[in-house]
Amino acid sequence: MNALEMAVTVYASLTRHLIRSLLATLGIVLGIAAVVAMLAIGEGGRQEALRQIESQGVDNIIVRSVKPAEGNVQQTSRSYTQRYGITQRDVEHIEGVFENVRLMVPVMDVRRDIFEGQQTTDIRAVATTPEFLEVTRCRLVDRRSRFLVPTDGKVLDPVCVVGVKAARRLFGHRDPLGQTVVIGNVSFRVVGLMESPGGGRLGGQFELNNIVCMPIETARSLWGGITFRMGRGMAEQVDYDFLYLAAKDIQSIPGTAGRLRTYLRSVHPQVDYEVQVPYELLQSTRKTQRIFTVVMTSIAAISLLVGGIGIMNIMLANIFERTREIGVRRALGARKRDILWQFLSESVLLTSIGGGLGSGLGIATAAVAETVSRMGGEAGLKAVVTTESLVVALAVSVVTGITFGTHPAWKAAQLDPLTALRHE
Amino acid sequence: MSAGPDRTVAPLIELRGLAKTYEAGGTQICALRPTDLTVRHGAFLTVMGPSGSGKSTLLNLFGLLMRPSAGTYLLEGRPVEGLDDDATSAVRCRMIGMVFQSFNLLSHLTILENVCVPMQYAGVPRSRMRKRGKELLDQFGLEGRYGSRPTQLSGGQCQRVAIARALANDPPVILADEPTGNLDEKTGQEGLDIFQKLHGAGKTIIMVTHNPVYRKYATQAVTIHDGRAVEG
Repeated sequence: MNALEMAVTVYASLTRHLIRSLLATLGIVLGIAAVVAMLAIGEGGRQEALRQIESQGVDNIIVRSVKPAEGNVQQTSRSYTQRYGITQRDVEHIEGVFENVRLMVPVMDVRRDIFEGQQTTDIRAVATTPEFLEVTRCRLVDRRSRFLVPTDGKVLDPVCVVGVKAARRLFGHRDPLGQTVVIGNVSFRVVGLMESPGGGRLGGQFELNNIVCMPIETARSLWGGITFRMGRGMAEQVDYDFLYLAAKDIQSIPGTAGRLRTYLRSVHPQVDYEVQVPYELLQSTRKTQRIFTVVMTSIAAISLLVGGIGIMNIMLANIFERTREIGVRRALGARKRDILWQFLSESVLLTSIGGGLGSGLGIATAAVAETVSRMGGEAGLKAVVTTESLVVALAVSVVTGITFGTHPAWKAAQLDPLTALRHE
Repeated sequence: MSAGPDRTVAPLIELRGLAKTYEAGGTQICALRPTDLTVRHGAFLTVMGPSGSGKSTLLNLFGLLMRPSAGTYLLEGRPVEGLDDDATSAVRCRMIGMVFQSFNLLSHLTILENVCVPMQYAGVPRSRMRKRGKELLDQFGLEGRYGSRPTQLSGGQCQRVAIARALANDPPVILADEPTGNLDEKTGQEGLDIFQKLHGAGKTIIMVTHNPVYRKYATQAVTIHDGRAVEG
């Protein structure tokens, strides 16, 4: 029997009991749907995590100042000042000792309000150096834009570079270049417009597209050491809020990060810093992904085992019910292998239909999960259905059909034609 | 079977000492004692005998649905009793057409699809297969009923579909097991007329029957008693 005839025969057999055929595939449908949905959500999570990690720069080590529970409080005559975080001494030490650091970029949160008209905004003003653009993977948007240059700091020019989101907020559709931004009570001229393509965050905190950068020297000249009042006589002083260290090469990152942690532990009695190593996070994410894959594979194997056993049962019942048909076909000239192929094809077609329906259901489930998790405008799950996952789902369905259909099909093929013909 | 037999010389079927014994509960039961029989091309052979005498066993041996315990079965001069399963299926497909007592039509297929089943196994291309199937159904007065299911037909119509199916691959021999057993007298006679026409067209008919009236249509007759086949 040729392939076309086999397909016609198999189709006729399956549509004979359509509901039963569909019910037989239910186990496979649910198994594949669960796998496709979980893979989509897992892949979405992985891509999101990787995007965030990579947007911080895989070759960077980022140190962030963290306010400790009980800081180093110095009592003056009228107030208490809490000093914490990365100090100028740390910066000088790292610059002098860490030979594998290619670039070091300090960043200060100037903690001054930025106004939109009379309203304060959530836009953050930071002071930094010209290399900031490189280490944060940001890019200039407009051809007329420029980032901060060393001269800006030398001449203490009140210039700034604005993130795209901040620019939209402050200037709407107007051209931001040449406009003025009021930070605290000082006016800064916008010389550049920058964008973080990955929507990255500064040290995992501030949205890079929603900040305004100014030269660190200008900020110091305006506000001196960054001391800011917390009310009730309390004040905080932080030399640097973030320190970006760009490694010379990826291989040196783990060693440099280790040495950095050792150094910071030795000079900071309280943990008033946090060391972020995107490369380590990337490695850890990959490891998590491997574990996730193993778990997914196990779940898939169990669901498909259950589904496959269901298919096998249905096929065995089918063959028992159709024993006489097998006898008739054998009497009319069917070979054993014709019968084997017929029933194996039925099994594979059943599981493939199950795989197809399951993939559809899985995609729909992932989309629903994504929508539901984002209700209320909050950032939620992200589901990404890859072609590979669908191909794998269908391939697994076919393999399940072959695995669990072979025994019933073989049993059908081995039936004695005469015994089968006499079957009631 | 491709060499093309010399129909004037070689008999279509030749049984030499063909026998069948079963073992049931440790006892040997002789279903068919050693039988010698020659059936020539174009013969109409009736096989008669009481129930349990061995008629069906002989027919199943003719149809290669069971293997003999002893003896030789020559079909167009070639021994077929020892062929492997694939070769046996090929012989069944191309050389033998079977008409069962209960017709054994596949209820989930249309009658056209039923007629096409033997051609599927003979590897006939689909368009040719459907054309031939329709011709056969037309020939038996079932034109325009191609899409009907067997359950929508009368007993006589089902029998005609079963005969059309047996003729699908144009085999030289048609085996019929009590083909009129499930039909009333009138419809049975119509069925028999069809077999007579086929015989007239040169087909070799081997028919198992209880009805001694059919003996008069036969050119050759075998009577079986207790597994012993006697010609005449």
